[in-house]
Amino acid sequence: MFFTVAQWSAIINSCLVGVFVVLSSLPLALFVGYFLARRQFPGKWLVEILVNLSLVMPPVVTGYLLLQVFKPGTPLAWFLSKFFGMKIAFEFPGLVVAAAVMSFPLMVRSIRLGFQSVDPRLEKMARTLGVSWFTTFFRISLPLGRNGVIAGCVLAFARSLGEFGATVMLVSQRESTRTIPLLIYTLKDRSDGIVEISYLVVVSLFLAAGALAISEYIARKGLRREFS
Amino acid sequence: MNFLSFQCQHQFSSGFEIDVAFKTEGLVTSLFGPSGSGKSTVLAMISGLLSPTFGKIRLGSKWLLDTDQRFCEPVENRRVGVVFQDQLLFPHMTVNVNLRFGQKNENIKKPFEFNRVVDVLELGSLLDRYPNNLSGGERQRVALGRALLSSPEILLMDEPMGALDDNLKLRVLAYLERVVNEWKIPTLFVSHGQAEVRRLADWLIVMKKGKVLSVGKPDQVLGSSTSLAWTNSVGPVNLLRIEIAYKRDDCWIGKIGVQELNLPPLKDLNLKPFYVRCLPSDLTLSVQDVQGLSTRNHLDGIVQELVELSDRVLVRVDVGQTLWAEVTPQAMRELKLYRGLSVTCLLKTRSLKILW
Repeated sequence: MFFTVAQWSAIINSCLVGVFVVLSSLPLALFVGYFLARRQFPGKWLVEILVNLSLVMPPVVTGYLLLQVFKPGTPLAWFLSKFFGMKIAFEFPGLVVAAAVMSFPLMVRSIRLGFQSVDPRLEKMARTLGVSWFTTFFRISLPLGRNGVIAGCVLAFARSLGEFGATVMLVSQRESTRTIPLLIYTLKDRSDGIVEISYLVVVSLFLAAGALAISEYIARKGLRREFS
Repeated sequence: MNFLSFQCQHQFSSGFEIDVAFKTEGLVTSLFGPSGSGKSTVLAMISGLLSPTFGKIRLGSKWLLDTDQRFCEPVENRRVGVVFQDQLLFPHMTVNVNLRFGQKNENIKKPFEFNRVVDVLELGSLLDRYPNNLSGGERQRVALGRALLSSPEILLMDEPMGALDDNLKLRVLAYLERVVNEWKIPTLFVSHGQAEVRRLADWLIVMKKGKVLSVGKPDQVLGSSTSLAWTNSVGPVNLLRIEIAYKRDDCWIGKIGVQELNLPPLKDLNLKPFYVRCLPSDLTLSVQDVQGLSTRNHLDGIVQELVELSDRVLVRVDVGQTLWAEVTPQAMRELKLYRGLSVTCLLKTRSLKILW
């Protein structure tokens, strides 16, 4: 096989982090994206700033703040450990938390654009036909805004693959929690690291391109069905 | 039939204020008026898409809104079928799924059976198609069917034929007539077109700048001076219903009561009844029957009403059906027109337009 155990571990970790980030962020991102797209409410600007903050903050600063929240001994760390048996800092869940926080703005932004592209009158029309808000969301808003949702998922997945700054602060460099970027960073100082790094670069390229291809396929399949 | 009672006030941030109160008195009521008069806003308030500042809306025995009691029925519980000008079909669903979207599973009364709606609106061949592949008229029929299948207690139509060309408009109008005749569903529709109002509505509410200008039967209201204030250049449109038509000596004849009307050539005699449209300015009035004219149609009638506008006078004549004629103030004085006077309406066959 081309890959060493460490490389396999990093590739699997990166993929798992990407998948977990998408799955765990999607419900909240859908909720926030929809309400930012559709509702006007007092303090909306504040919500927008909070959502987009990690996009403009230095990743290391974000990672440092996350560490302060989740490091052992904090109330939240105690709560998660006591009731869910989960440790965030320096463990695998930390990879997901760091990547989720960093990719959340991108996901919300795409989803919001997706919902904004849906004619709000279609949703109103659906309500006049006697269906609830919930049904309207899942039968009208979500299918019609799916391209934004798919793009958001792909962006979040790709951003998770590349996440480094916040991750290195929250999880640090441990063999069991290395992702592709962390491993590349570790290998760069080794004299024989260039070959291993090049493999990882190729894998990263394939993963990113594959995610884009899948999202494009899903979007086109939907379009073909609608307009055939 | 006092089915809908509406009384609402609302002020928009733009400053536009709407203060409207009316009760429907017929099966089909039309909200008529120029753009920006608030007609669509009234429909939005009834359907629950817009909440007025103050108001009460009652549909049959059910309250939809009462701001005094802080009561507002949610949109999905109102049971109103809405049809918009641009149809708003769900583009990711086939016609079949669009039609069934609002069908209820609960045990509510279902007067609208799927197959019957599909038959009446002739949607059978469209069921597997997506809205993007339908013509304007087909889309409008699907929208109408979808609204009916949600088992509404009232049908609200916002300029349902506004985006269609004349031919399609007439076809969709025929379907609307069919729906009203089949299910006797109370209908409130917004319209700009006098022809469709005269043909479909039996009660008319004229609106202007957020207020009700006049209310009554279409024939009377459309000719009143208040309603005509905004249609100063157009005036009422004449629409004659022809129940019987036949061919005699290469001429097409239609019957209006006992009188005969020479018609332009007809394509198909089997399509009955049909309507003939002409403008008041196409009519000439005579206080005595004149012979030796090339004008073929001489309809005898009685003057019912004179509406004096700034530059012209509209004369409502009963010839078995209502006809509006337009004369100058000088002509009115010279002919000494008055209510109850017998006149002859002269009408060139070429000025008649057949509407199927």
